[in-house]
Amino acid sequence: MKSILPVFMLCVLLLSGCATTNQQILDIGDETQLQKRSYQSRAFETADKEKVLRAIISTLQDLGFVIDRADLMLGSISATKLDGNQIRITVSVRPKGDDRMLVRANAQFNVSPVEDPKQYQNFFSSLEKSLFLTAHAGE
Amino acid sequence: MILPITQQDSNTRSVKDLSVLLVSLFLAGCVTIPPDAFVVTPDLQQKRQVETRRYDGINEVDLVTASANVLQDLGFNLENSETKLGVITASKERDATQGMEIAATALASIFLFTPAAPVAAAYLIGSPAHSKDQTIRVALVVRPVIDSKGNSMTDNYFVRVTFQRIVRRTDNSIKAETLKDPQLYQDFFERLSKSVFLEAQKI
Repeated sequence: MKSILPVFMLCVLLLSGCATTNQQILDIGDETQLQKRSYQSRAFETADKEKVLRAIISTLQDLGFVIDRADLMLGSISATKLDGNQIRITVSVRPKGDDRMLVRANAQFNVSPVEDPKQYQNFFSSLEKSLFLTAHAGE
Repeated sequence: MILPITQQDSNTRSVKDLSVLLVSLFLAGCVTIPPDAFVVTPDLQQKRQVETRRYDGINEVDLVTASANVLQDLGFNLENSETKLGVITASKERDATQGMEIAATALASIFLFTPAAPVAAAYLIGSPAHSKDQTIRVALVVRPVIDSKGNSMTDNYFVRVTFQRIVRRTDNSIKAETLKDPQLYQDFFERLSKSVFLEAQKI
């Protein structure tokens, strides 16, 4: 009987790690909304929305993504990369003041959100190169 | 948590085995995103060459129209488009059964009745599923050529196209991939060139 105990405890431990439905739907993790926004956004010094969107499209294509959806008015691009696994990303662009565009990206890998700021940093540095502009911390 | 192996208690041993199994199952669920998922590698730069062609002397509307037409020539249904950004996406569902896979299974079944039976049985157990059907997706983007001063040139455009496919097997497993064969892209652009010519001549 004693020997069952560690296994039982391990199972309880594993199950307690599972998120509830509400947590999964709202993606409530350890970080605040503001933290998420800060690593998922960058501001670029241009007022040309179309130029930024076109640069995002070609950056995503360079990264091996296939564009799923694009909308100039809404300023959003969604794309998928299939390479044995699946990465989905949505990038949105909105004006910030008169002379800046704020670019926001969020990605998911298979069935989990990408929450590593380094990944977003890599994305924005690829975007910088194709826009010939420097990214500034957003928000 | 590493338990020392003791001989006296076989119960402890099996518990240890079970824990190891549980832990490894737990770890197997943790497939993480590749660290270079958002970095342009030389391999990806080469893909850009394969997937891109430049078309001169045609305006963007005509080029996007010619592209949409060629996708229809190839049996794709348009899914989504934003012509202001030069984006078209399309897809089609197709049969994915491959003669080779079925032939190999049939051959292995015959060999079950010969001295090579163990090999044939191992093959059949190892790969029981065939490719069944597939969704082929394509995204095509037209973008203006940028001159050395950073301005868009008129009537000079790049067309970049990427094909993906999601293959479903008979055991309901899925294989997703981006197609890389340069010949495929070569063939596609030959057809697009024809379509661009037809569009220019308004045929």
